[in-house]
Amino acid sequence: MKSRQVVLSYGRELGTLSGLLLLCAALAFLTPHFLTISNLLNVAQQTSINAIIAAGMTFVIISAGIDLSVGSVLALSGVVLGGLLAGGFPLPVSLLGGLVIGLLCGLLNGVLIAFGRLPPFIATLGMMSVTRGIALLYTQGRPISGFSDSFRFLATGEFLGVPMLVLLMLVVYGTAGFVLSQTTLGRYTYAIGGNEKAALLSGVNVRRYKLAVYGIAGFLSGLAAVLLTARLNSAQPIAGIMYELDAIAATVIGGTSLMGGAGKMRGTLVGALIMGVLRNGLNLLDVSSYIQQTIIGAVIIIAVFLDLTLKKRSS
Amino acid sequence: MRNRLFLSACAFLLLVGLWAGCSRSEPAASSSPTVALVMKTLNNPFFVDMERGAKDAAQRLGVTLLVQAAEREVDVERQMQIIENLIERKVNALCIAPSGSKEIVPAIVKANRAGIPVLIVDTRVDSKALANASGRTAAFIGSDNVEGGRIAGRYLVERLQHKGKVAILEGIPGHETGDARLRGFREVVDREPGIQVVVSQTANWERDQGYNVFQNLLQSHPDLSGVFACNDLMALGAVEAIAAAQKTGRVLVVGFDATGDARDAIRKGTMAGSVAQHPEEMGRLAVENALALIRQQTILNEIPVTVELITNNKR
Repeated sequence: MKSRQVVLSYGRELGTLSGLLLLCAALAFLTPHFLTISNLLNVAQQTSINAIIAAGMTFVIISAGIDLSVGSVLALSGVVLGGLLAGGFPLPVSLLGGLVIGLLCGLLNGVLIAFGRLPPFIATLGMMSVTRGIALLYTQGRPISGFSDSFRFLATGEFLGVPMLVLLMLVVYGTAGFVLSQTTLGRYTYAIGGNEKAALLSGVNVRRYKLAVYGIAGFLSGLAAVLLTARLNSAQPIAGIMYELDAIAATVIGGTSLMGGAGKMRGTLVGALIMGVLRNGLNLLDVSSYIQQTIIGAVIIIAVFLDLTLKKRSS
Repeated sequence: MRNRLFLSACAFLLLVGLWAGCSRSEPAASSSPTVALVMKTLNNPFFVDMERGAKDAAQRLGVTLLVQAAEREVDVERQMQIIENLIERKVNALCIAPSGSKEIVPAIVKANRAGIPVLIVDTRVDSKALANASGRTAAFIGSDNVEGGRIAGRYLVERLQHKGKVAILEGIPGHETGDARLRGFREVVDREPGIQVVVSQTANWERDQGYNVFQNLLQSHPDLSGVFACNDLMALGAVEAIAAAQKTGRVLVVGFDATGDARDAIRKGTMAGSVAQHPEEMGRLAVENALALIRQQTILNEIPVTVELITNNKR
């Protein structure tokens, strides 16, 4: 029974991965501009910010929750970071400020959900609006721009030929994958998502771990904010609108169940890459932006449909 | 079984992609120069008109034209991704209507590095940010928005017979286009002792926000006799709010862009006037000048497109 389960989940991931490879093969066939090293690095960079947010989303969704506030938290972390940098604070202090704001917003989500017993959908929907409002208020609606090269290096620089964005994405996924599969926090995240009551009865401190899960999501939104701000050389209070949907889509395409209790970090990475490759390919093929939206929507629907069908069969 | 199901779904998606890719005319012999036009969005009629003008010109001149836009007007990160992807596709010239005056700069620098000339359409790039990044643009093609704001101001002042309370609906703060219109309008209105600008609020360029914001303004300032909206979408929102408050005819609405809907409203008398831009003309000039650049001809670096006031008397 257990080995069958392992094979099943492995097969599911292979499916997503082969979807990505098929997509790449088709694009390589359709346009000579796709399969070049510079374009592949380009796709990886474009995927990184969504992928990093989606890593946090994966924790949340595996715990059977949802976080709709990630895009707004990104905006708030970004403008605080931008404000600190523009105010002449040293780089490490400013970075820490942006990341801490993300973490605090995430923890506040966690408090509302774990201790206030609010449904995650409502708590994070509220926080989405609250943090967006504070970001707008803080900046009076205006973007903060013009930062030092040393800060921008985080998004525009390279290390041993690998763009920093890609490198950081891989570090995040390595760490998140390790935490999810090898630590108590990871195991309890699955346990809470699989059956919260059972987890509670077997002595898991559900509240504390939920707090941690939302804290991670907030922190990673803060990290994404740092990278987006460095990439655009500007911190915008209206940044990240609807990013929550891209992150949820990447997570779900990657095979994480919206019901909680199941999912893999590397699945989400593949899911984010599928979305990035799809957008890149549709641009290269000059597909009208109206059709692009339709195709991306269809991919999400089909992925969830498959997820549900597979689940029905395996039970 | 599971894998097969997933693979067949992927195959289906690829077919959709193929169909979408092929139904667009790919460059025939690729000997014709390729020009890309990257707009803010395609769900604003203004940019749809610009696209039409560009397409007509491209067809006439034998240019392969790629048109791409972000799904949301404010999505600066997505616009940057599109530009990166088009650089990978090695287009011969890029025409860009920037979503953000400062945020576009990193993308321009990337195009510069790839040796692709950049023409800016409609919204100016922040010249300081561009100079700091040592970026270069070949030309600006767009309306004189400051003059447009002045025209709107003079018309409203005249219609109000130099006295009354006026509101302003601003665009997204920090957008050069909206700021320029606002500057022009205030320049005229602030010199009028009888005219009082009692409130100036943003409605983020959007129709529904124009409605809501103006409804609120009518609550707090019931004696308003005129409103200047920095685009027609917000102006039309205000028109609806005025109708809902049963004040049609008592508040003069002047918009900007003279879109089809606004012209209808002007004909019906629910709007007093709108400053017409000529987006089709911008699209045409963008393609013509891009082609001239590709052919190594020199072009002007400021290419103004005329603005004119549309009122009920005129048409």
